[in-house]
Amino acid sequence: MSLNFYRRVAFGLSPNEKPDKDPLNWAINQLDTIPDLLWPGTIPTEKDLRKKYGEWVYGDREVLRKKFKNDKHAYRKAKDELRIKTGERYFELNEHAIRHFQTKYSKQPVFERFWLFWGNHFAISEKDFLAEFSTGPYQREIIRPNMVKTFEEMVQSVTTSWCMIHHLDNSESFGPNSKKGMEWGETINENHARELLELHTVSPNAGYTQEDVIQLAYIMTGWAHKWDRKNLETGDIWFDQEMHQKGDKIVLGVKYKNDAKRELAKVIHDLATHPICIKFVSTKLCRHFITDEPTDEMINPVIEAWNKSDGNLIEIHKAVITQAYKYNENTHKFHPPEIWLMQLSRMFDLNIPLSFEKMNYTFKSKPNNRQRQLSWILREIGHSPYRVKQPNGWSDLEVDWVSPELLLRRFWFASVELPMLVKSGNRSHDFILACLKNNFEDHANMASLIENFRFGTLDYDLGQKYGVICNLPGVLKI
Amino acid sequence: MNCTRRNFLIGGSTTLFLSGYFPKISFASMQKKNLIIISLRGGMDGLTAVPVIGDKRLKKLRKKLILEDVLNLNSDFGLHPKLEIFYKLWQKNQAAFVHATNIPYTGRSHFDGQNLMETGAHIPYKEKTGWLGRGLLASNIIGKGLAISLPMPLLLRGVPQNNNFFPSPDFVETKLIDQIYNEFKGEHNELIKSTLDTIRQRPLSMQIATDSDDRKKLALEAAKQLKDQSGPRVAVFDLDGFDTHAAQGGVDGAHADELEEVNKIVTILYENLGQAFDNTLILTLTEFGRTIKQNGGYGTEHGYGSAILMAGGLLKKSQVYTDWPGLKKKELFEGRDLNSTIDSRAVYNSAMSICFNQDPEFLRKEVFWGDELPDLSQELFKI
Repeated sequence: MSLNFYRRVAFGLSPNEKPDKDPLNWAINQLDTIPDLLWPGTIPTEKDLRKKYGEWVYGDREVLRKKFKNDKHAYRKAKDELRIKTGERYFELNEHAIRHFQTKYSKQPVFERFWLFWGNHFAISEKDFLAEFSTGPYQREIIRPNMVKTFEEMVQSVTTSWCMIHHLDNSESFGPNSKKGMEWGETINENHARELLELHTVSPNAGYTQEDVIQLAYIMTGWAHKWDRKNLETGDIWFDQEMHQKGDKIVLGVKYKNDAKRELAKVIHDLATHPICIKFVSTKLCRHFITDEPTDEMINPVIEAWNKSDGNLIEIHKAVITQAYKYNENTHKFHPPEIWLMQLSRMFDLNIPLSFEKMNYTFKSKPNNRQRQLSWILREIGHSPYRVKQPNGWSDLEVDWVSPELLLRRFWFASVELPMLVKSGNRSHDFILACLKNNFEDHANMASLIENFRFGTLDYDLGQKYGVICNLPGVLKI
Repeated sequence: MNCTRRNFLIGGSTTLFLSGYFPKISFASMQKKNLIIISLRGGMDGLTAVPVIGDKRLKKLRKKLILEDVLNLNSDFGLHPKLEIFYKLWQKNQAAFVHATNIPYTGRSHFDGQNLMETGAHIPYKEKTGWLGRGLLASNIIGKGLAISLPMPLLLRGVPQNNNFFPSPDFVETKLIDQIYNEFKGEHNELIKSTLDTIRQRPLSMQIATDSDDRKKLALEAAKQLKDQSGPRVAVFDLDGFDTHAAQGGVDGAHADELEEVNKIVTILYENLGQAFDNTLILTLTEFGRTIKQNGGYGTEHGYGSAILMAGGLLKKSQVYTDWPGLKKKELFEGRDLNSTIDSRAVYNSAMSICFNQDPEFLRKEVFWGDELPDLSQELFKI
């Protein structure tokens, strides 16, 4: 088995890890339990951060905008001060550190790859201040605990999470015949219903109609944040009967009797166990781990495992890994920038993220450059994880990640930034050779390409070496 | 008040539905024509950029946002003083505006609106390619798109081999590429290899490091490339920050700052395209306009109808092209927004037909699913 399996399903091997005798078993054994988050620094709760979100929007929208309505300079200044006070510029940096630390040191790196996958399947795109306050904790608290449950349970949790409801506007969706809908002349917002069908479960392959979207939106009405004057839109999610559309609903030919808040669980059950949903999500899993265009042959065993286990994600994940192992030698998979960075960080033990002590924040001044470093790198290589532009998440296709500038950014990172992240004890040529040997079959050929620079240990020399190594076809892709 | 509905509408666009229009390809195709789109994200306020000075209602509804020193375009419309270059070009018949226009989207979500302004579709997220990308593909113009951004914008997707320019913060030695180029073997490495080719064939000026936050430098480089007869034919710029819920201000407010950015880009393009400016069209694109009425924070909320700012030598003449819907409460969209009486996609479709030497009918079918978009080429552009 090629060493590249460790990158296909994880992040490669760090200098103190050795290849396992049984790589398939090594991988499969990582999926039964949820590893603890290893970050020794602060890990705030979603609820706490939502409170900060509330303080920020309330302070800006209700206070500052009114106070400084005639003076854009004073307004900007006051707004910047509020940013500092509420951590608006900080929490995302801390989340990136938590995430990167996890993929770097986790004893269950294969589990972590699935964590990244599901966070992206149920993507929160860049909207309002979700990236600043909420997407990170959402992935920690909603996605992660559900990864040892069923797919259906995952969909239930995600669909009623504050983050997703805010992201897809379900709080603004009123049943037109509901009490509030009639009083205020409001109607549905189909956003969330459409994405639940299209992106999260059955996909357009199920052939649903606009009427199905409307009917599902009716079922979803009432699931909203609890609004109040001070917290604005950051209150907890509840079911507001007065927003809920009365009457029976029909989605994909199935009738759901008027049953208030219980309707949602029923329709999610049907969607999450729908054969087309199972095929759609299995295909996405295979696309992520095996190749851009997976064949039925690759996908079918995953579907079988899904059916046999009633959608148990542990069993599904194991089937995906088994397939990834089976097809490891004759398929190729291009990795997007963030995974590439995580792999380089683990394989070469780079000095990111910043230590938790230095990540500490006092809420008194702007985060410093060191604290911003990892997030800045992610942005510059084009993959700031919580800032995907659309709710369909980051693409898993090579073609979406290969533009001239996106490739140049990788050359930039490897040759200019990376040398500054090499730990002082790791600057020798031998260290690089050992890391290559640990992770690549053709390490000898790779070494020959940087032979000319073997005596150099300055940043420039390291830049020449890593600039070449990190952008080789066998490193950009499996 | 002389602003009533329809009195600006010059030449009924509807009649052109039926006219069989075919460009004179043999002549037209000799000159490279450039189409430049500047995306204005956040919702550009058409009434701040091109205020309707002929309607007293605007002043009443926007006491704190009203502009002094408006540049007069005609008796009915003025121009924001920060849009100086458009005023200058207006005198030379090289600037024009389409007003009370928008994509057919009334949902007021940035999120969906920006997706639709790029895909040109009706349902958010349904289409995965952009109208400009599809237009290029339908016209068989491949490898001629240039995006001034890091990812390839949705607007340009759908046609292969686009270039983009958004240099990294430091110089990247392209000789690194030479060292590993031959390692990209086999079919599965073709895409990366051909992209490395695109990088290696770049002119030296596109290899320099720069501050990609410096729009001036980016625009300068874009102008340089567009000027080249064998260079790109389409460029896409991206600006955001138009979402001014507060302190939108008049001449100096937050919206003015953004318009100043537009002005800067167009100025650089104009000054550096030289002769090529005569064969260029620059059009803005936004997801929606903003409410007529100012809000409690002296800003405006998400609205509907907006305006398209246009510049370039391919414009027919200086004009505010509009089917003015009026500002009376009942004339507003849902009683609050400037209405849209022109589907902005008709303007973009017509612009593509001019710049790509294509029959607008053909493009309408290929790019916009045959939606009813009148051909405005004769009214707006030089044919």
